[in-house]
Amino acid sequence: MVKVFIYPSNSLILSDLVDRFGHEPLAMMQEIGKKIRTAGLDSPPINITPEDPKLGLKYAAVEVPAGVRGRMALLGPLLEDAEAGIIVKEPDISFGCMGCARTNELINFLVRAKKVPLLELNYPTTEDEAKAFVHKIRGFLNGLPGAKSGKEDE
Amino acid sequence: MSDDDDIISKMIVLHSTFTLPSDLVIKIYESKADITVKETCFGLIVEGKRSEVNRVASEIRNMDPSRIFIKERGVPPGSSNRCRASQGGGAKPGFHQHEIEFALLPYFTEALDEIERGEMPEIRDVTPPHLTIEKFKDIIEKEVKESE
Amino acid sequence: MAKENLVKIAQLSCGSEYSGIQKEIETAASMVDAEIIFPELTIDDVKAVEESFGLQVASPDLKLMMARAQALVDGKTNADAVLIATCFRCAEAALVRNEIRRYIHENSKFPVISYSFTERTTAATLLTRLEALTTTARRRNLLAREHQEGLTAGIDSGSTTTKAVIMKDDKVVGTGWVPTVKVMESATEALDNAMKEAGITRDAIQALGVTGYGRFLIGDEFKADLIQEEITVNSKGAVYLAGHQKGQATVIDIGGMDNKAISVQDGIPGMFTMGGICAGASGRFLEMTSKRLGVDITELGALAVKGMQEHVEMNSYCIVFGIQSLVNSLAKGSMPQDVASAACYSVVEQVFEQQLQEVEVKEPLIMVGGSSLIEGVPKAMHDLLKIDVTVPPYSQYIGAVGAALLASGFINK
Repeated sequence: MVKVFIYPSNSLILSDLVDRFGHEPLAMMQEIGKKIRTAGLDSPPINITPEDPKLGLKYAAVEVPAGVRGRMALLGPLLEDAEAGIIVKEPDISFGCMGCARTNELINFLVRAKKVPLLELNYPTTEDEAKAFVHKIRGFLNGLPGAKSGKEDE
Repeated sequence: MSDDDDIISKMIVLHSTFTLPSDLVIKIYESKADITVKETCFGLIVEGKRSEVNRVASEIRNMDPSRIFIKERGVPPGSSNRCRASQGGGAKPGFHQHEIEFALLPYFTEALDEIERGEMPEIRDVTPPHLTIEKFKDIIEKEVKESE
Repeated sequence: MAKENLVKIAQLSCGSEYSGIQKEIETAASMVDAEIIFPELTIDDVKAVEESFGLQVASPDLKLMMARAQALVDGKTNADAVLIATCFRCAEAALVRNEIRRYIHENSKFPVISYSFTERTTAATLLTRLEALTTTARRRNLLAREHQEGLTAGIDSGSTTTKAVIMKDDKVVGTGWVPTVKVMESATEALDNAMKEAGITRDAIQALGVTGYGRFLIGDEFKADLIQEEITVNSKGAVYLAGHQKGQATVIDIGGMDNKAISVQDGIPGMFTMGGICAGASGRFLEMTSKRLGVDITELGALAVKGMQEHVEMNSYCIVFGIQSLVNSLAKGSMPQDVASAACYSVVEQVFEQQLQEVEVKEPLIMVGGSSLIEGVPKAMHDLLKIDVTVPPYSQYIGAVGAALLASGFINK
């Protein structure tokens, strides 16, 4: 089982498929969950505090907007843990944690720069493409070390 | 606290005509897991110790594997931090994200059914080749000529 | 402050949660008895927005922001005012912020403020802006007042100077003007001077209005009838003194610490910006210039009018670099009048570049505050914008006059 960074990082489908096919998705929700459950933080709604954009300076310089650096403070540690990655190119609108195009450009670059096994695929627009999407992801995940699932492999 | 003792939430999304959220709830009660369950318009949100939540999520998925999709969720069920009743009305961005993905789920279901049946379709990338500038020029000339 | 009617502020923003300042926005809102709300919409509204609004952007949260603006204008949400906020230094967001602001202004009656934040933005920074926004939404009746009645006083406790006026039946009958040292002592002194000039005592004052940075402190201490931020009172005071209470106007106040550019309709602020990146765009820079030139601040303006700013290269984007170029030009033998002129021009240029882009400049343009008396400043504004600039009488007392005017609405209450 390896840790797979997914983009969009809040995607239900990617998170589900990675988990379903036997690996650990590295998703934004985990980081948000940690923030929200940290006692003593009081910065609703998601407990990102003004300290986070400062931590984000590790990934982007001060002239990069605070919203980018705040997001990077969450995504950065996930990227560091990533042993593989799946990037969906030009996904249909994805909001919130993935709502900033500049952050998205930066994290896509950083995943590629890590040189871990990486699957990049287009966002499906038809039924056939959606099916191919699932099969490709499964194929990729089954090829990673320690894959556990895949019906016919059992 | 070990990782297994972390408290996490998972969102169980169901799009099915023959499994209902209430069926999933019954299953969870039967499993006697020490977790909190909240029914939502998409399915359920469960919260509890990571180990328990993961165990239950996996049991739930097995009820209808191609029609149940699961992801971790940052915000606990019913959190006033995110609930729109206490957060000024309009849906939060994540909700719209969810709407978009929910609409696509039937397509993924078909692919998962194929896998279940052991089918492995040939995958071809059918990206149409880029139009060359020469070809484009030919087309323009031809079209202009025809319209004259 | 007494509890007032709840004002619903629709927030159209991108990045505030991830900059860690959403709580600051909500805290500032609750301090002015307002509630932040988010317009309701569907995913289809968001998908259609680029086409219907006409602006294509890469960031989904900016699309959401545009769709929320549309939902608001279409009346799908019950709101009283609008806060538009995006990350400072994001070009894409700045375009959207500006176009949404214009769109709301042209298609609705909502008072709007637009702000770009960093992780350092605090509730205190936002307070004055939200106070002005909620006042405009809440106190239309008070702001409709066009005449000062009875005997009232106004105090403007500014960052650099404290001003006070006594007004009687639409006339200024006493003024006081002192540098701000200790907030309370300076306010007392300014008010005493104004009362002395008017020949009255404290008990003759029928109502008191206070404004400026020190307003809460002096308001409590003097038991003021009206405690109001400077955006509202300056707008009101400016159109009142300029004799232009009806119709459109633009009010610019280059203050000691920050600047205000306000687009006014019938005396009520519509859009406004507050701030300036650096003190290089403020009255402080002019004060330093006059010290460097060895002239009194009151003489700087006359000197500047005689000079040619084109002869001196000066950029006061940052006050430190601004002073450096001032020193350099003097060392190179520039004439003091040219340096004075360049300093005025540079300050005005900063206001133009940083603030007037966010406010529709409508004539007449009324300049107020102490800096408007430095003749080189309104002249530079005129040269830059190519429009007539009005400096009303008592322009340095603008806040105090506006406060005294509005305070007369509290007589007999």
